[in-house]
Amino acid sequence: MTHATPHIAAPPAGAALEGGAAPTVGRQLSVDFKQVLGGTARATLGAVGALLFLLTWEVGSHLYGQLQLFPPPSGVVVALWRLFGEQGFAWDVWASLRRILVSFGIAAVVALPLGLLMGAFPPLRAVGGPLVSACRYLPATAFVPLFLMWLGAGEEQKLALLTVGVVFFLLTLLIDNTLAVRTELIDTARTLGAGRRQILRTVVLPACMPAYVDTLRQMLAVGWTYLVVAEIVATTDGIGAMMMRAKRFVHVDEILAGIVTIGVMGLLLDGVFRLLHYRAFPWLHHAR
Amino acid sequence: MSATGVRPELRVVTDSAPPSPDAAAEAPPGVPFLAVDGVGKDYPLRGGGSLRALDGVSFAVRPHEICVMLGPSGCGKSTLLRMVAGLDAPSQGSCSIGGARIVGPGRDRGMVFQSYTSFPWLTVRENVEYGLRLHGETIALAEGAGEYFLDRVGLTKFANHHPDQLSGGMRQRVALARALATYPRMLLMDEPFGALDAETRWQMQELLLEVVTRERMTVLMVTHDIDEALFLGDGIVFLSRNPGRVREILRPDFKRNGRPATKEAMYDAPGHRELERHVMQLMRDEGKRA
Repeated sequence: MTHATPHIAAPPAGAALEGGAAPTVGRQLSVDFKQVLGGTARATLGAVGALLFLLTWEVGSHLYGQLQLFPPPSGVVVALWRLFGEQGFAWDVWASLRRILVSFGIAAVVALPLGLLMGAFPPLRAVGGPLVSACRYLPATAFVPLFLMWLGAGEEQKLALLTVGVVFFLLTLLIDNTLAVRTELIDTARTLGAGRRQILRTVVLPACMPAYVDTLRQMLAVGWTYLVVAEIVATTDGIGAMMMRAKRFVHVDEILAGIVTIGVMGLLLDGVFRLLHYRAFPWLHHAR
Repeated sequence: MSATGVRPELRVVTDSAPPSPDAAAEAPPGVPFLAVDGVGKDYPLRGGGSLRALDGVSFAVRPHEICVMLGPSGCGKSTLLRMVAGLDAPSQGSCSIGGARIVGPGRDRGMVFQSYTSFPWLTVRENVEYGLRLHGETIALAEGAGEYFLDRVGLTKFANHHPDQLSGGMRQRVALARALATYPRMLLMDEPFGALDAETRWQMQELLLEVVTRERMTVLMVTHDIDEALFLGDGIVFLSRNPGRVREILRPDFKRNGRPATKEAMYDAPGHRELERHVMQLMRDEGKRA
């Protein structure tokens, strides 16, 4: 019995060496879709992007020439130095941070239990859902005149504006987070004899907590967007108040410094929430 | 290692706690342990009328027996299992356990689902002890019950892992141990190995058979896998579809002298091939009817 010649033959020995470089097939992409980047590569590329932006700004500003109206980034850095060093800007930053934290705390204390209960129980959702959805479309800034009349021009009015600005969005997202709990987890608890309160406490709440923390982190950014609006009205301290003062004296570099400060503060708080997520929910961050 | 071969005693503090599994044996004579009696299920259709998913299904499960519901997809076997669990209500008829009509879920009927239902925020040990801790007021935590069942399913070494660190087969073992740890009178399983790869699947079937036989547990299980039904079932309820009705109730004759411990033992048993052919013919018929 003879064997047929195999269709798949090994290349003759040394074939690759004869013509110099080995032949290749297939097309490689230098920048690939869904490419996995190393930590160093990512950091380098991020730094390059930021530097390109700052360099363009710096050069553009000097070319344009009107440094008072369009200060370069180096001017903003100098302004920051001056603000923190000579004008006690740290107190303004603290005042703003305190407003954000207090108002956001109020919003969270209101929205968390409501989001849990309305997400878990359809009748509650049916009662409150339409109202909450409608309230989301009310611009928070439209409440400023109302709050000025009801609460005066003091701290309460600012806190109220900052709270109203986030609470309805926050509640809507938290309800969605709660709805995402898998029915099988609840059914499992029921077959193990858990009652309604026990399911809420030992299944729904722990299942939702990671999503809740993520939602809080994202909504905190929205809180910062209302800060300047809240601090425009009859305020002496805070980042927004400093920026309004700077506008009166055409200190554009200080206004830009205020914007940069808000950005940095937002980024720092975001980092705090990310760290909290990492620490509080270790099972989500296991290396597989 | 505190896990031993002896099952820890459940200390009952109040008389509302569940009876021990052996109460199954004490059911009054003539009363089947689990009775499914004329159960039907109708789903309302849009635009009026209704669709009958199950129609007049009746069968009984004896104590310590493994009963498998087998049938093509859409025959309503999972719905029926959910009714026995108390997670779904029948439109007609009723299910009862030990003479009591089932109206809702309870810890007397432990359930294992097809999808992974380990609580990801708890460790393996905490998952297994979850049911026991729920009833801390009425049952003193059975000393070492968690350890015992972890050992039964071979997860002692992984007690402090989180479920996401485990393979699919291991997660189903957690679910099995958790369902057994509350000392249910019955174990309900809805295609528990359906999501597993073939090798893990038969290993899990052998493990289940070993554990259930040792604990003398009464089991009602759903599958569409003929091999699984023949290997695990002391009784096989074959359901047809459109609507779901009992087509035939089979009792594998080759298990007269005990359950085969391995798949190979089952394949070697006289009468296995013939029964397998018969069930395959039933399945083919259902396919033609659809």
